[in-house]
Amino acid sequence: MNATQSNNPASAAGAAVSPDIHQSIGMLTRQLHDSLNGLGLTDKVKGWAGELPDAKSRLSYIARLTGEAAEKVLNRVDQAKAQHDHIAAETRRIGALIVKDPVAAVAKGHVMNFLTDVEESTRQVDQHLTEIMMAQDFHDLTGQVIAKVVNLAANIEEQLVQLLIQTAPPDAVVKASAPAPVAEYQPALAGPAVNTAGNPDVVTGQSEVDDLLASLGF
Amino acid sequence: MANELRFLVVDDFSTMRRIVRNLLKESGYTEADEAEDGVAALQKLRASTFDFVVSDINMPNMNGFQLLTEIKKDEKLKHIPVLMVTAEARKEDIVLAAQSGAAGYIVKPFTKATLEDKVNLILAKAGLK
Repeated sequence: MNATQSNNPASAAGAAVSPDIHQSIGMLTRQLHDSLNGLGLTDKVKGWAGELPDAKSRLSYIARLTGEAAEKVLNRVDQAKAQHDHIAAETRRIGALIVKDPVAAVAKGHVMNFLTDVEESTRQVDQHLTEIMMAQDFHDLTGQVIAKVVNLAANIEEQLVQLLIQTAPPDAVVKASAPAPVAEYQPALAGPAVNTAGNPDVVTGQSEVDDLLASLGF
Repeated sequence: MANELRFLVVDDFSTMRRIVRNLLKESGYTEADEAEDGVAALQKLRASTFDFVVSDINMPNMNGFQLLTEIKKDEKLKHIPVLMVTAEARKEDIVLAAQSGAAGYIVKPFTKATLEDKVNLILAKAGLK
């Protein structure tokens, strides 16, 4: 082993074979280009390039919605637990007052105040429970978006498998079977609007829906 | 009166069906059945009596637009108000729903107040409340 090899063997070897590597990459690129052209896949590849950023924004949308839902649920649980703790403490306090002097507890209004307090607290706890239930709507919205991303991934996989099959060397030992047909994505319905900013074709909320329908006389 | 009205909630996501049913119940509308797509909904509508349909749009087998069209061309069903509750936020879909005879349109995610307001408004217009 000489000094040059031990200092930087990779660069030394790379410098020695560099023209060949470039030539090989060039040939592979050309071969891939020709194969895609031959298979009529160039348009589809262009399509994937356009859809991948969309898939990325859809995944971000899922992360945002699930994060917001978790945050909402935890906040509401905290508030409901605080209400619950308050009622439990008040129940103990009023219980002690009644045991000590039942007549005074009623006469001084402690019992009535407690009942009013319980009614208000249970109303608030009920609101928290409703909001916790509503937070679960992320399941529907993210489910639709996930289905679109899965369809895109399956479509790309199918096309890549076809490409492999059709460009495999004729003497390949293992013959790949034809891929299972992928359920065709039907883009007629757009699903949840992932990016509404700057998109005049979609509404951003219920008030816009109401305004649109009102402007049309509905 | 409100308690006697019978609702059909149509959505392919069971979570959303439960949410809508629970919200209707909290608003006093306790009689509700559910269907997972337009085909199942039509079967239930033709087999029983309903006063109100709350339907999603993006569903397998038969989507909400197709269900709405089927309801509106059926002499026995066309009087039933159909409220679309959907994630479809494109203006063209909203206009199409209205032109196809939808009584109202709510975009997801929505609030309890929005659903309650729309249902009450539609019922009042239909003379059912």
